[in-house]
Amino acid sequence: MNELMSFWTQGLRPSAGLPTVQWSLLLAVAAVTGYLVQRYSGLPKVVGYTLVGTVAGLAGFSGVVWPLQGIGLFLVELAVAVVLFEAGGRIPLRWFRHNPMVLVQSIAESALTYAAVYWVLLWLGVPERAAGPLALVAVAASPTVLTRVVADTRAAGPVTDRAIVLATLSSLYALVLGSAQAELLTRPAADWRGAIYPVLVVLGVSIAMGALLSLLVRLALRVMSPGSENTSILLLALIAAAAAIAAHMGGSAPLAALLGGMLLKQLHPRPWAWPRQMGTAASLLTMLMFVLVSTVAAQADWSVKVAGVVLALIAVRLLAKAVGVGVGNVGSGASWRQAVWVSCAMTPMSAIALLVASQFVVAAPSTGGLIASIALPAILLMEVLGAVIATLAISRAGESSKPSALARDLRKAPYDKEPS
Amino acid sequence: MSLEAFHHSEPLTLGVELELQLVNTHDYDLAPYAEDMLRLMAKTPLPGSVVPEMTNSMIEVSTGICHSSSEVLGQLTQIRDALVKSADKLNIAIVGGGTHPFQQWHERRIYDKPRFQELSQLYGYLSKQFTIFGQHVHIGCPDADAALVMLHRMSRYIPHFIALSASSPYVQGQDTAFDSARLNSVFAFPLSGRAPCVLTWGEFEQYFDKMTRTGVVKSMKDFYWDIRPKPEFGTIEIRVFDTPLTIERAAALAGFVQSLAAWFLAEQPFTPAEDDYLVYTYNRFQACRFGMDAVYVDPASGDHMPLREHIVRTIDHIARHATGLGASGALHMLRGEASGGQNDARWLRSRMQDEQLLAEVIRQAAMRFRGTPP
Repeated sequence: MNELMSFWTQGLRPSAGLPTVQWSLLLAVAAVTGYLVQRYSGLPKVVGYTLVGTVAGLAGFSGVVWPLQGIGLFLVELAVAVVLFEAGGRIPLRWFRHNPMVLVQSIAESALTYAAVYWVLLWLGVPERAAGPLALVAVAASPTVLTRVVADTRAAGPVTDRAIVLATLSSLYALVLGSAQAELLTRPAADWRGAIYPVLVVLGVSIAMGALLSLLVRLALRVMSPGSENTSILLLALIAAAAAIAAHMGGSAPLAALLGGMLLKQLHPRPWAWPRQMGTAASLLTMLMFVLVSTVAAQADWSVKVAGVVLALIAVRLLAKAVGVGVGNVGSGASWRQAVWVSCAMTPMSAIALLVASQFVVAAPSTGGLIASIALPAILLMEVLGAVIATLAISRAGESSKPSALARDLRKAPYDKEPS
Repeated sequence: MSLEAFHHSEPLTLGVELELQLVNTHDYDLAPYAEDMLRLMAKTPLPGSVVPEMTNSMIEVSTGICHSSSEVLGQLTQIRDALVKSADKLNIAIVGGGTHPFQQWHERRIYDKPRFQELSQLYGYLSKQFTIFGQHVHIGCPDADAALVMLHRMSRYIPHFIALSASSPYVQGQDTAFDSARLNSVFAFPLSGRAPCVLTWGEFEQYFDKMTRTGVVKSMKDFYWDIRPKPEFGTIEIRVFDTPLTIERAAALAGFVQSLAAWFLAEQPFTPAEDDYLVYTYNRFQACRFGMDAVYVDPASGDHMPLREHIVRTIDHIARHATGLGASGALHMLRGEASGGQNDARWLRSRMQDEQLLAEVIRQAAMRFRGTPP
């Protein structure tokens, strides 16, 4: 009998360790929850993933540590990099030549968000050394959430496209400025040369890795079809390698991927067919990212005092983004109604904001606690609420092929008639 | 509702309508940007008009009344340049062609306009499958009776029109083996195909009254015929053309129609008869299926011959009428294409053979439309 038990014990020993089992089960639950949320409420699956991560985080799940590091950090960076590479490819630079107001709109909404959040946080008594980083975190709208919402609702149209582009550009600003500022916090400089050096390192490494990534993909596409499964696998592998190297050399992995996508679109204006091929591998990666982000964000120290600051940050951010999108909307080719829905679709915060916040926490441990205590609840709240608002906005703009049950009840638009 | 009186128009005047595709510049699938395009285009004074079409990834542009194919080309060039400018502003592209090669019909959304919603209710999924793109050519007729005679004479040349304009070989990502698969979608609609062979407006009014009494028809718009009279314009409207990939070909096709009409009016070369329609559907099928390689059966003699040969022979025959209309250049272009067996469907297939990616074929087609060689 003992021999038999010994055999089974050996046989049941998990080969990859307990964390792997924990994460596998957590992802399985998230997959089921995401599916059920979408089926019964029509809301995007990302809401389900976030809820599962939140419950796990609140229950004290110890599978990931804050600030992000090691394999957890790499997985979030990789997932964000994959999304940003594809989102970067949606931004042809020639568009800004034909329609410079889109760039103005983007800069207006990001600058206004930064200024408004910074000012309100100072007014609420948040120290300047934390208000600046938190304002930068608030700048980053989430193309990761938005692209999942778009995929789940099969949305297409001017509001959807504009929101993805503006969210991607806001992420670009947040990553560039966030990485540079975090570097400055790590290595305080005596003069301007010392101050600019770390900034140049972050930007230089990211740009170099982005350029290398785009060149390698461009070379591959000379012989491989973009519709091939192997091209998608190659692309994922190259993004993973670029992310790892960029981070190791002092650059920003998501920034390198985003710049890589934008450069590739310039070098190779041909259609991007691989997003359709990415399929389950990319979906698994993004699901893991959402669970991970919400698990981490839920581990924040919650208090009533902080709740007020968080809610103020969220409210000011929403308002500033709406005003910024509206101010830059003049002459940008979009109607005022569309501008309203675009600003609503840009409300989600997620992994990119978390990465920026994580950089500040690592760079300045003394203020890290304060930054995290405000940033993490805001990110968690806006991952769920932002996904819901974005879904409704896109649906109300008449751009969802599969409107949510909630949105269907709220409107009587004549679009989207499915054949009976 | 009784049939509207046939208004006066100047004989041989032309009007051209083009249904165009709006595609994104990311994966070159159809993009629902009709409303935005119309809003931007409304700011530019142009000849003709820009209006919405059945689904919100389509728009229709039309010229004003023109007297020659070169005037058509001039107006289409103005409209095309304004379209391209607006599209650039929205980061989308405009494409010709009779079908979008890989769009999925179920993803389309009906444009928010009462008539399109009514049609959607009536025809169900057919209305979304009607995301196809055609060129319509109006030709001015001296009077109502002459219009009907012109309509039925023109019917003999439907295969010529189809083969010369065919640009819809791909549907839902597949090569259909047809040069013009678009017309198969039109055939699904009731009251499509040929008009009844009546040669006087009085008889036509009687036919229309009988149809309206059945409750099946309310206006001329309910007929999806290949050619139909357009009494409010004083024209007949030829509707079998796929939208070509370039405005130059669109204008040339209008020049071909005008030259044929000039020949009909000047020489009254034959009297149309019901028996012409014995081979109509067969000839139409041949042209859709094989394009320039089709077989043409002469309705009068019953002779079989390669369609391209008959096109060349027809163009040579009407050349002197084209000269007076300034359409010689247009006919020369079409003659060359027909002799070489070329049309837009063949161009699309050759691009696909080289690129192995339909989205890239669309990108190159969009560059052709804007007048920039790919």
